[in-house]
Amino acid sequence: MPVKNEFDVIIIGGGITGAGTARDCAMRGLRVLLIERQDIATGATGRNHGLLHSGARYAVKDSESAEECIRENKILRHIAANCVEDTGGLFITLPEDAETGYGLDYQATFLEACNSAGIEARAISPREAIDMEPSVNPTLIGAVVVPDGSVDPFRLCSANVTDAVLHGAKVLAYTEFLDFIREGDTILGVKVLDTRSGEKAEYRAPVTVNAAGIWGHGVAEKAGVHIGMYPAKGALLVFGHRVNNVVINRCRKSADGDILVPGDSVTVIGTTSTKVPFEECDNMEVTPDEVRLLLREGCALCPSLSSTRILRAYAGVRPLVADDSDPTGRSISRGIVCLDHESRDGVKGFVSITGGKLMTYRLMAELATDAVCRKLGVSRSCTTAETPLPGSMDGRIESVSKRFEGKPTAGQKSAAGRQGDMVNKIIFETEADKQLICECENVTLAEIKYAVRELGVRNLQDLRRRTRVGMGTCQGTLCIRKAAKALAEALGQPELAPKLAADYLDERWKGMRAVGWGDTLREMEFMQRVYKYQKPYSYDEV
Amino acid sequence: MKFDVIIIGGGLAGMTAATALQEAGLKCAVIAEGLSLHNASRREFSTAGGTLLTGDRVTEGQFEDNRLLSVRTEKLEDVLLEADSFILATGKFFSKGIVADMDKVYEPLFGLDVEYEEDRSKWFDPSFTAPQKFLEFGVRTKDGCALKDGKPIVNLFPAGEILSGISSAQSDATEQIKKSAQDAVTAIRRK
Repeated sequence: MPVKNEFDVIIIGGGITGAGTARDCAMRGLRVLLIERQDIATGATGRNHGLLHSGARYAVKDSESAEECIRENKILRHIAANCVEDTGGLFITLPEDAETGYGLDYQATFLEACNSAGIEARAISPREAIDMEPSVNPTLIGAVVVPDGSVDPFRLCSANVTDAVLHGAKVLAYTEFLDFIREGDTILGVKVLDTRSGEKAEYRAPVTVNAAGIWGHGVAEKAGVHIGMYPAKGALLVFGHRVNNVVINRCRKSADGDILVPGDSVTVIGTTSTKVPFEECDNMEVTPDEVRLLLREGCALCPSLSSTRILRAYAGVRPLVADDSDPTGRSISRGIVCLDHESRDGVKGFVSITGGKLMTYRLMAELATDAVCRKLGVSRSCTTAETPLPGSMDGRIESVSKRFEGKPTAGQKSAAGRQGDMVNKIIFETEADKQLICECENVTLAEIKYAVRELGVRNLQDLRRRTRVGMGTCQGTLCIRKAAKALAEALGQPELAPKLAADYLDERWKGMRAVGWGDTLREMEFMQRVYKYQKPYSYDEV
Repeated sequence: MKFDVIIIGGGLAGMTAATALQEAGLKCAVIAEGLSLHNASRREFSTAGGTLLTGDRVTEGQFEDNRLLSVRTEKLEDVLLEADSFILATGKFFSKGIVADMDKVYEPLFGLDVEYEEDRSKWFDPSFTAPQKFLEFGVRTKDGCALKDGKPIVNLFPAGEILSGISSAQSDATEQIKKSAQDAVTAIRRK
């Protein structure tokens, strides 16, 4: 009996790589199924700096990565304008760097490497650097300006998923990959589990793409294929406000905690690099030693961090491809690895796309899609480098917010900033729609309804990733009951509200526990107090 | 300036103790930063003739042997505020009655001994709504007196949430807080 394929390609993993691949495949006319065991952007995609690399960080040691970065940097500024903030970046040299061989001589090497990789870099005086970024360590002896920026990885991932769907892709979140459907040496499709309903299902396609990040190691094993992956944990800290407006890097060999990135209302310092066992990848906890290290290095970039409240800590796992000769994982090129398992391992209908980084997701998706198209005999070429994503199609925020009648409210302006031209789909019908649910991030009831309607939001974590609900200074302390009620009602299941709020608070609590001292501990006591008589699980009205 | 009792902190514990002592005929002063000042008892205390120093905070204490002799405040920097007894009711973490940094938990005003769990991994339960160990931390006492370097300060009585084992963050602790204030009052009146 001939196999009837409902899809041309199945993509495993709803991180930025899978989302980008789904978009590219769908834009090339393929029938796409994307499966993701949790929500989109729950793995490494949502657990990094949100740095729009200029490539300067890699210029000296890895010119190939540097060139890739600056090319993709320019592309993302165009296709994902709404996800990117052009902050600019500084690479600073501190007096102590001179003692370790990374003084101004190294700065000259660095400048040369940047320029030959095509990264516009120019040295400025310490005085100019302080004028450009007043929070920078004033003892600096040199600085280089590079075209770094910040990028909202949640928004970027969501925009890719949205566009894939607009091009006909089917996206199943909370759908876990269980095993392959296999006949001889050919992969015919996947067996999956709907983690909400507990129901199992099978989907078939001539090609399956493994884009599961670090979890791709296990996915490949199920196909009997070994990819020697290297789980490198990276821990980061979020500070209570936007301390710097320009990305600050250390102009030396890449090390722990040497990048400080402003993102929306906060600042993020990172990262560390530690090899961790695969079993730990599902539940990363940031250790006191990691926090200590990040704080020490962060304060070297920006001394005022020592007196800034830490909102939370988090960690992600980089999907590096293993090189056992280097125990730290630092000198591995963050290069893209695209594997056709037919030529590599004799397994037909199976492609893995891994390695790489957030910055190069589009290129990774292009390479993976090229591989898929070769297998399917499709010759359409990639257009993702020229075609803007939903939300970024209509220029800048200013023109978008003109669409509102009269003067836009704070909530409408923020919504335009987050959702770009998709803001058209946010319906401000009543006065209630304009009311702010999250006051740190200016999220309105209308934006929550929109996120449920258009972006597939099912719980408060999903909502946070798409609207920044509860990501600001109060970490949801003051808004979560309101947000839970609004979301539960928008989902048509008001009885869900207590569970939504309780799950959300446990997640926030996790990030705070790792940094539970000083003002963060004060906030934690306060948070407990706020919910004393209104336990999230006994929630009944707002 | 000399008082019978100086009460540091104007929350439920501080004002309960201050009002009881003032109404019992002792000359009392309350030094309170203001935000957490208990408004109902504030009127009662003032009506009874108590001295209220609001919007001010204690900066240092003068100790001799095992006694606290006097304190200075931020605003009345030149004035030495003396008393026979002191009540310390500055609360827990939120009100900075006790402070945690990365390595230790301490009482910031006088460096009193604090009871806390040294193993940070035991401070928190992963579930937000479960009991949280850190809320039990607080100053140690012996016969109601604060301890400093293991020795009792015989005229310094902590009351309310600064004490280890008392917290109103997860449940109603009004009765416990009032009782700790009354205990301090009893101890002072016995002297």
